[in-house]
Amino acid sequence: MSINVKNISKSFTSFKREAGLKGAFQSFINRKYETFHALEDINLNVDSGEIVGILGENGAGKTTLIKLMVGLLYPSEGSIEIDGYIPWERRNQFLKQVSVVMGQKNQLWWDIPASESFLLNQKIYEIPHKEYKKTLDELVQLLNVEDKLNVQVRRLSLGERMKMEIIASLLHKPKFILLDEPTIGLDVISQSKIREFIKFYNQEHNSTFLLTSHYMNDIQALCDRVFVIHKGKGLYDGKFNSLVNKIKPQKKLIFEFTKRPEESVITELQEDFKFNLIKNVVTAQLPDKQLTKLLGSLFKINDPITFSVEELPVEDTMKTFFSNPEKFL
Amino acid sequence: MTWIQTLEYRANLYVGLFSIFSGIFIEYLIWKQIFIARGTELIRGFTFNELVAFIFLSMIVGQLKSSWITSIEMIDAIRNGGLNKYLIRPISFYTYHLMLFIGQNSLFYMAYFTLIAAFPFIFPGLAFTTNFQIFGFMSALLLAVYLSYNMYYMMVCVSFWFHEVRALVIAYNVANIILSGQIIPLRLFPEVYLKIIGFTPLPFLVDFPVSIATGQLAPELWTSKFMIGLCWCFFTWAMGKTMYYFGIKQYGGYGA
Repeated sequence: MSINVKNISKSFTSFKREAGLKGAFQSFINRKYETFHALEDINLNVDSGEIVGILGENGAGKTTLIKLMVGLLYPSEGSIEIDGYIPWERRNQFLKQVSVVMGQKNQLWWDIPASESFLLNQKIYEIPHKEYKKTLDELVQLLNVEDKLNVQVRRLSLGERMKMEIIASLLHKPKFILLDEPTIGLDVISQSKIREFIKFYNQEHNSTFLLTSHYMNDIQALCDRVFVIHKGKGLYDGKFNSLVNKIKPQKKLIFEFTKRPEESVITELQEDFKFNLIKNVVTAQLPDKQLTKLLGSLFKINDPITFSVEELPVEDTMKTFFSNPEKFL
Repeated sequence: MTWIQTLEYRANLYVGLFSIFSGIFIEYLIWKQIFIARGTELIRGFTFNELVAFIFLSMIVGQLKSSWITSIEMIDAIRNGGLNKYLIRPISFYTYHLMLFIGQNSLFYMAYFTLIAAFPFIFPGLAFTTNFQIFGFMSALLLAVYLSYNMYYMMVCVSFWFHEVRALVIAYNVANIILSGQIIPLRLFPEVYLKIIGFTPLPFLVDFPVSIATGQLAPELWTSKFMIGLCWCFFTWAMGKTMYYFGIKQYGGYGA
C-alpha cells in the first residue's frame, strides 16, 4: 500500500476571546475570527510495509496529518493518494483497508463489553466468521486480555482499553494503520507490550504503520524512518539515527579528582568548556568532540579516582532538538 | 446492540417504559375538567371518550417517533469529534443512527404495541375497528418514524456550521410536540393555524397515523395524504443528504 502526500495544506478558522464575562459579551457581539495554518505544503511518500514515525512538538500538525490521511478531514490544498484512493472520499473499499488508533481517544462503544464492539466491527467490515474468530483469538492472546473481553469498556483501565482499541482496529486486517500516540498514559510494561506487538504485526502482515509519539522509546524501537513536522511544515524526512547524529547528541561526563584542583586552573578551563565542579567532582554535558577535549584537559590537571562517560537518553537529545529544530536542519 | 446497551441500565428502561402514563393521566384530568366546565358533550366533534382515545394514541405515537435523544448524541458526536468513530469505518452516519434509533425504540415498540393491541378493549369502537385501519395506521406510523428521523437529522447537520445546536433541537422538540398533534389534536387548533401547519410535514408525524386509527380521516383521503407524506420523506432525506455533503467539509474533528 503506497502513500503519496503532495503539497498538503490545512487551515482552520477559529475565534479568540479574552477570559471573563466581559470577554464573553464582547465575543458575543463582535466575534473576531482568525485563520490558523495547521499544515503547509507537506510532502511525504511511504512504501508498503514501512513503519514511519511522525515527530513534532505539541501543535506541530501531526494529528492533523493523520486525520487527513485517514479521511477525517478535507485539505485546504494539495492531494493524498493511498493505493489509488483519495481518503476523504471515504470509499468503503478504502476504509476496509485502513485503521486508526488514537491514544486516549475512545472509539469503542462505551457502555458495552469490548467483545460486543468486536462483533459489531465484524458486521461492519463483513469479516467471515471463521476468519474473525481466528484473528480475534490471535490478537487477544498476543495482548493478553482474555479475562477483560466481557467487561464494559468504560470499566477498563487505560492500558486495557488501549489494547482493546488496537484489537478492534486490527480485526479486519488493514494494510495501513495509523497510530496517534498509542502508548500515551500507559505504564512501561504496557508500552513495551504494544511496541513488541506492532513490530510483530508489521513483520507478519507487511502492514504499513504511521506512528506519532512523544515517547522516543517508541520511535527508536519501531521506526527506521521519521518525518519531522515543525509549525505545520515538513522539516526532515529520513532515518531516525541520521537525525540523532545531525543533532550531535551530547554525552555526560563525571570526573572525580583525588583532590579539588586550584581555582585558577578551573577558571581558565571554564573559559573553554562548560562544566560544573562541586567539591572534587566535575560534571559536564557536551557534544562528543568537546567532551573528549575536556577529558584530555582534566587528565592533564590530575589523574581521577574515577570517571565515566555515558550517552544521554534519546529523549534528552530530542528535547534539545525540539527547542530549536531549525538550528539543526 | 441497542437492546444490549439499553438493558445494561435497567432502572432507566423501567422509568422510560412507564413515563408515558404520567402524561396520559394529566391529559385525562385536564380534559375531564374542560368538558365539565364547558358543560358540553362535544368539542369540535370529539366526545370525551373519543378525545381521550385520540390523545392516548397520540402520545404513544409521539413517543415512538421521537428521536431527539439520538439527535442530541449525534450533535455531540459532531461537536466533540466523536463522529470520527463513524467516519473511519465503512458505515453511513445516517443509516447507522437510523438503525440505532429504531433499535433504541424497539423495546418501547414492544411495550406500546401491547397497549395498542389492548385499545379495542380499552376504547371499544373508537380505534382499530377494521383490519384496513390497522394496516393504514402501521404504514402511516412507519412514514412518521422515518420522517421524524429525517427532520432531526437536518438539525443535526446544522451543527457542522454552528457547533452548538442543542437549543435548536430542544426548541423544535417542544414545537413539534404541540404542532404535530401529540398533546392536542390538530382539529382543535384555529383554522388559520391549521392551514399554516398544513404546509409543513408536522401533521404527518402524529396526527396522520392517529387519525387513520381512530377513523377521523376518511379512507378515500388516505392515498393522497400518503403521497404527500412520501414527498415530505423524500424532500427531508434529500435536504439531509445535501446538508451532510457540505457540512462534512467543515468538520474539524476537534476534541479527538
